[in-house]
Amino acid sequence: MMPARRSTTMLANLVTWGLVLLISFPLIWMVVTSVRPQTELFQIPPTVIPRAITFEHYIKLLQETPFLRYFMNSMILATSTTIVVIVVGTLGAYSLVRFSYRGRETLAALVLFTYLLPSVVLIIPLYLMMVKLGLANTLTSLVIAYTTFALPYALWLLRSFMAGVPEDLESAALVDGASRIGAFIDVILPQALPGIISTALFTFILAWNEYLYALVMVNSDQARPLTTGVMNMLITSFNIEWSLLMAASVMMSIPLIIIFAFLQSYLTRGFGAGGVKG
Amino acid sequence: MTISASQHRTRNPLERRYALLGVLLIAPTVLILCAVIVYPLISAIYLSLFSIYTPTLKGSWVGLGNYAQVFGSSGFWGALGTTVTWTVGTLFLQIVFGVAMALLLNQNILFRSLARSLVLFPYFVSTVVAVLIWRWLFNDLYGILSHLLIQFGVVDMPVDWLGKMPNAMASVIFVGAWKFFPFVVIAVLARLQTIPEQLYEAATIDGAGVFGRFFDVTLPQLKEVLTIVILLRTIWDFKEFDLIYLLTGGGPVNNTRTLPLIVYQQAFGLNQMGIAATYAVAMMLVMLAFMLIYLYRARRQAP
Amino acid sequence: MVTVTFDKVRKAFGEAVAIPSLDLAIASGEFVSLLGPSGCGKTTTLRMLAGLEQPTAGEIMIGERTVNNLAPSERDIAMVFQSYALYPHMSVRENIAYPLRKRGVPKADRPAMVQAAADLLQLGPLLDRKPRQLSGGQQQRVALGRALVREPKVFLLDEPLSNLDAKLRAHMRAELIELHRRLGKTMVYVTHDQLEAMTMSTRIAVMQGGELQQFATPAEIYHRPANTFVAGFIGTPSMTLADGEITMDQGRPVLKLGTLSLELPADHLSERPEGTRRVTVAVRPEDILVGTGSFRANVRLVEPTGHESIVLVNAGDVGFTVRVAGDTVLKAGETIPLDLRRERIHVFDRESGRRLNADLAAATADPVRSRA
Repeated sequence: MMPARRSTTMLANLVTWGLVLLISFPLIWMVVTSVRPQTELFQIPPTVIPRAITFEHYIKLLQETPFLRYFMNSMILATSTTIVVIVVGTLGAYSLVRFSYRGRETLAALVLFTYLLPSVVLIIPLYLMMVKLGLANTLTSLVIAYTTFALPYALWLLRSFMAGVPEDLESAALVDGASRIGAFIDVILPQALPGIISTALFTFILAWNEYLYALVMVNSDQARPLTTGVMNMLITSFNIEWSLLMAASVMMSIPLIIIFAFLQSYLTRGFGAGGVKG
Repeated sequence: MTISASQHRTRNPLERRYALLGVLLIAPTVLILCAVIVYPLISAIYLSLFSIYTPTLKGSWVGLGNYAQVFGSSGFWGALGTTVTWTVGTLFLQIVFGVAMALLLNQNILFRSLARSLVLFPYFVSTVVAVLIWRWLFNDLYGILSHLLIQFGVVDMPVDWLGKMPNAMASVIFVGAWKFFPFVVIAVLARLQTIPEQLYEAATIDGAGVFGRFFDVTLPQLKEVLTIVILLRTIWDFKEFDLIYLLTGGGPVNNTRTLPLIVYQQAFGLNQMGIAATYAVAMMLVMLAFMLIYLYRARRQAP
Repeated sequence: MVTVTFDKVRKAFGEAVAIPSLDLAIASGEFVSLLGPSGCGKTTTLRMLAGLEQPTAGEIMIGERTVNNLAPSERDIAMVFQSYALYPHMSVRENIAYPLRKRGVPKADRPAMVQAAADLLQLGPLLDRKPRQLSGGQQQRVALGRALVREPKVFLLDEPLSNLDAKLRAHMRAELIELHRRLGKTMVYVTHDQLEAMTMSTRIAVMQGGELQQFATPAEIYHRPANTFVAGFIGTPSMTLADGEITMDQGRPVLKLGTLSLELPADHLSERPEGTRRVTVAVRPEDILVGTGSFRANVRLVEPTGHESIVLVNAGDVGFTVRVAGDTVLKAGETIPLDLRRERIHVFDRESGRRLNADLAAATADPVRSRA
């Protein structure tokens, strides 16, 4: 019995880790390519382990391309979208979960509906709207556009986090002398905080990774975020420098890596609450 | 949609006060949703009745003419077929890989949480990054994929992964599966962890083997979560733009041009904003069935 | 002096009526239990008093003030929840100080008040812990402490002991009685546990299906249940309930229970039945005498608990539950003589369930009693 079991575990380990490495291979390859000297890149046949490690591509990326500008734009864009969406969404979710008024149920259904709506349906009218408002080619236009998917998404997540705070806690605060808003600030907000943080992380990632709106709304390097910016580097270059693009890809994923390394528990929490539980 | 603080005439002042506060708190959300979603949605439907030239934004009323043109064209039906092929193909792979990986990761393996993080990563990485990596892997001269295949003697020429059919569609479907299957993994994994151990013990006592336990215990327990995951992923895959647009641009010769790509192409490539809106609305109508089923299910098991 | 009054209070959740019309007048300084099975409306009643639910109609008063339109914070009450509802992110000290903070008690005065409440409940050493570091019993004390730290007009307690183990529950019952005596405040206590209600209350409001069944002292409720529901609900083991008929025979009421025929005292009923009256009778297990008497009974089951035994017997075609001393030797299958204490037989109208005993008048009186 025992030896059989041990070998099954061994097999499970081997198969699982084999698949995990296979799945991660593209990402590993990205990192490997980005630190490999240009000369090694065009070797035929290519080798898996680089013979020398260099950061020349990263230096070039930061010094000779508009990458840093794109990075800053993305940072501003994702941060402002997250702040707007979290502030509005937290209040909205509290209202949807703990108050009763006519139209509340309809509104909740509408939020879920908009959460599923394809961007391409909204993008044409939104583009026309931005042109009319004179906001085309600005980061503001993107913050506005990003709320179309980020706000319903955040509301849906936050709603389920708020619903998870025991109602008795709020009742206790009310009896103890707090107003509704007082109870919200003293009790519900601290209790929902982990949920709010994970929603904020998801919103940030969503905004950080967005491509289509950025492609349509922004047409200048001044306001271009990373996604369209880096893609532009690929399209406009005469001679595609893959090491440079891989370095850009790594740099672009840094916020993600930070979140993964330090805040992973928030990530899995949000995942459970949002998508699947309904 | 009407939201108001007075529900019944019998409500007392305290309840009205609370309702008013509730409406006040939701007001910013409603205003924003109206401005960026409800209004654009209605105006998309309105625009679909016009013929508009994008650069000048000058338009003329054509009524349902756009719809007649769209539904009468082979472009729409072809793209719909492509969209369905892509959705079904990638969804199938996502579910199979996703469930299998979840089952493996549910085992007691070494460094389990690290393995989970690594599996999750593709889902969170930007589509732009994913596409750049895969285009580099697919590269016809220096791409590692072709070289590995040559080295193992599977092929003797570098493969044209994205430039011809059916390779392009297969590549897109595969990359899509790689990017999105972690969603299935997490959802299924979360559910797996809640299946009581007693169920497996009871099944073992009743004489069920490994496969018996999977089909009689695990699968029925996963039915609910899989239904929701399939619905959600169908909707999301159906409307996927970034991945396909960036990998193939719809090529070769429109063979991977799905409906979202046609909308973009019409509006900003061919400068036909009116007809693009028509395509968008038509696409939404196709999706509506799935959206409504999901809405119904989600409301039914509301928190 | 703080009375609590429910005047024709109605509560409906949408179409479902939880409480059709409730009238209840609680005197100042009373400890009143709302007792009933789950879903009887007792918690809804308490939550309406707290302001956490709003009545659909009627008036709720605390003292002379109508509180219908007041928020919970404006009602000057304190409440202990079944789940304790301790704020998980605050320490015990902060939990207890929270009501003071919210009521604008000057910061300088708070530590002494928190300390006093903590001393009262022996919470001193726990003040800097977080709720999750406490045992169930300790959490319960903190919840009490948070309620006791101020001097509210009314204390509301919603099944505060139901999550404790049996031993701790008995201990806390005694402490709560002691607290009530010391503070002399009006307390309203929701429970489904009749032992808690019987031991702690000055009066018990028995509820069922949203309606008040009886509102009286524990002794009244036990000895003179107002209807068949109260008769069946109060007492462990339950009273024997059986359908029978009463006819008058030479000026004395005669009760027929299946094949048994019992003569009742002449003044047993509040009104003389005309002809034959269909009734339900109830007999407490201790009001059945074993070993003497005119009936033959067959022993079906003996459940010894040590100091006493519960015996199920059949007499005629009626099954009785009997309480006997622990040293009584009885065996299943045995036939024994049996008698009922006639003056203790409770008689109810079979249709309305209303009490027909002549002592009813005493039961409706309002014997406000204070422990102090």
